[in-house]
Amino acid sequence: MKPADKKAYDKDYAQAKKTGKPFFPYAIFKDTIVAGLVVVATIILAITVRVEVGEPVNPSTTDFVPRPEWYFYFAFELLKIFANQNALTPVIMATFMVPNILIILLVIWPFIDRGPERRIWKRPFAMGMIVLVTGFLCYTTYLGANSPGGVGSGGLPLTGLDEAGTAGMAVYMANGCASCHMVAGVGAPGPGPDLTNFGSKGWDTAKQVAWLKAPNAPMPSYASLPPAELESLANFVNGLGTKYK
Amino acid sequence: MTTKDIGPKNPLQKGTEDAIDYVDERSGVKTGTRWFLFRNIPEGTSWFQTLGFTAMVVFGMQAITGIILAMYYVPDTEGGAYKSIEYITNEVTWGWLVRGMHKWGASVMIIVVFLHMARVFIWGAYKYPRELTWVTGAFLLLLTMFMGLTGYLLVWDQKAYWATVVAVNIFASAPILGPYIGDILRAGPEFGPATLSRFYSIHMLVIPGAIATFIGLHLYFIVRLGISEPPWSKRRLRIERDEEDARREAARERAKALPGAVNYPSTWPVEAKESAR
Ligand code: HEC
Ligand code: HEM
Repeated sequence: MKPADKKAYDKDYAQAKKTGKPFFPYAIFKDTIVAGLVVVATIILAITVRVEVGEPVNPSTTDFVPRPEWYFYFAFELLKIFANQNALTPVIMATFMVPNILIILLVIWPFIDRGPERRIWKRPFAMGMIVLVTGFLCYTTYLGANSPGGVGSGGLPLTGLDEAGTAGMAVYMANGCASCHMVAGVGAPGPGPDLTNFGSKGWDTAKQVAWLKAPNAPMPSYASLPPAELESLANFVNGLGTKYK
Repeated sequence: MTTKDIGPKNPLQKGTEDAIDYVDERSGVKTGTRWFLFRNIPEGTSWFQTLGFTAMVVFGMQAITGIILAMYYVPDTEGGAYKSIEYITNEVTWGWLVRGMHKWGASVMIIVVFLHMARVFIWGAYKYPRELTWVTGAFLLLLTMFMGLTGYLLVWDQKAYWATVVAVNIFASAPILGPYIGDILRAGPEFGPATLSRFYSIHMLVIPGAIATFIGLHLYFIVRLGISEPPWSKRRLRIERDEEDARREAARERAKALPGAVNYPSTWPVEAKESAR
């Protein structure tokens, strides 16, 4: 805003204030009504939709999904959008670049949009931004709400499972791999890549164990699994698409 | 006091008044309160401008229900945290209600803060001189979301545990500072008992303190700068109409002053004017 615009605004606002009315009781009256309604709505929600106690943390149960609160769905969906991509759009885009750009934009927005105009229909850029951002948030939250839930303990539809393979699959199912990876159409389509044909990469057991102990984020480390389970899991994953199809 | 004395005062009333005057003399509370409550706001202030106050009230509700939950909650990874949540939900009188209000309140607060931000954005209320009000507000939004993130882990159930593992890994994946942030959040390289206590103290002490501070700053700016007027208040629309009229009038004047323009008596029919030009 140019100094003249600022002066004009100050003058106009002083005028508005002079012909205005006192904060108490006029604003306080409306504030109390709306805040009261929202608090009552929260109490009604708490009474009608009871919160439950979920499954206790326990690595040996088989069906859980790393599902955040609904207001973080968009971030998880963002992960999925970038997860199955090539080296040009690595996961770092979703976990670092995009969120930080959004946050910086949010904080410095008033220093970007500085014109004196305040009526939204005369600010097409701001209007475009709000439609874009709201649309994106609503869409990704909707996707997150409808993404596949628990994978169940049924196992994977694979053939060629020998004893070692079945044991490895049990470890796979028990540790929530399916909530980030898809194998033969079972499991979440992201944020991790589809592992159906992982065996064709030809990793050996040591390489796989090392990966599981120290994978790239956001995949969690499985260094705390017993070595025998880790090995069995590694052999199972390395055989996907070759031994176990 | 300005009231006229008619007979001796009730000693209780006199004592109270004296006490208030005593405190006001030293702290200025009475003057401050008057300055805060009886400042003028623009005439057309709208219902949409109640959302910030509502966010504040919901934050207050979260603080109260949170304090009650903290009386029973145990940040213990060996089943203690989970059991204490179960105890609050099933045994404590009204415990389910307090927990429900706190849990739903978190979602409600996010929604209210977003709506508040949308109203500020659509109204262009972040423009001069309120840029810094917006900046403090942006930090409030981020802090509110952090509140949801750290609170989620405290129930220590499967869903929350794994979601938080992933979320912390996301922070840890950032270049350069990421690994350090990850270690700070986890309280070490692994998720464990120390992580839960750390999240507990961040959720209960660090972020609420930061939110309270930023609400204080936010309010200071709001009261100092005054709440903005709706860009389409009756007063603004009237001014715009007047400006539009003045502009037309000026254009008409200019047209008259052009060389070759003839001053017709205003009683002439319009068509005659047009053809005469
Ligand atoms: C929180 C989600 C998540 C979970 C849970 C998870 N992963 Fe991953 N995984 C990922 C992501 C994301 C990547 C991609 C990381 C990268 O390439 O930088 C990945 C990559 C991999 C890769 C390497 C793929 C390749 O082509 O390089 C393997 C193998 C793998 N995961 C196996 C597993 C196994 C086995 C488990 C269960 C023990 C598991 N993952 C659990 C998210 C997850
Ligand atoms: C915990 C969250 C927040 C609280 C408690 C809060 C509180 C308030 C209150 C009480 C007001 C007075 C006017 C009104 O109620 O509309 C206000 C105004 C304002 N808020 Fe917030 N706010 C929060 C979050 C935000 C966010 C996320 C933003 C934007 C990024 C923001 C930006 C502003 C601005 C620019 C004003 C001045 C608007 C004007 O004068 O018209 N606030 N806030």
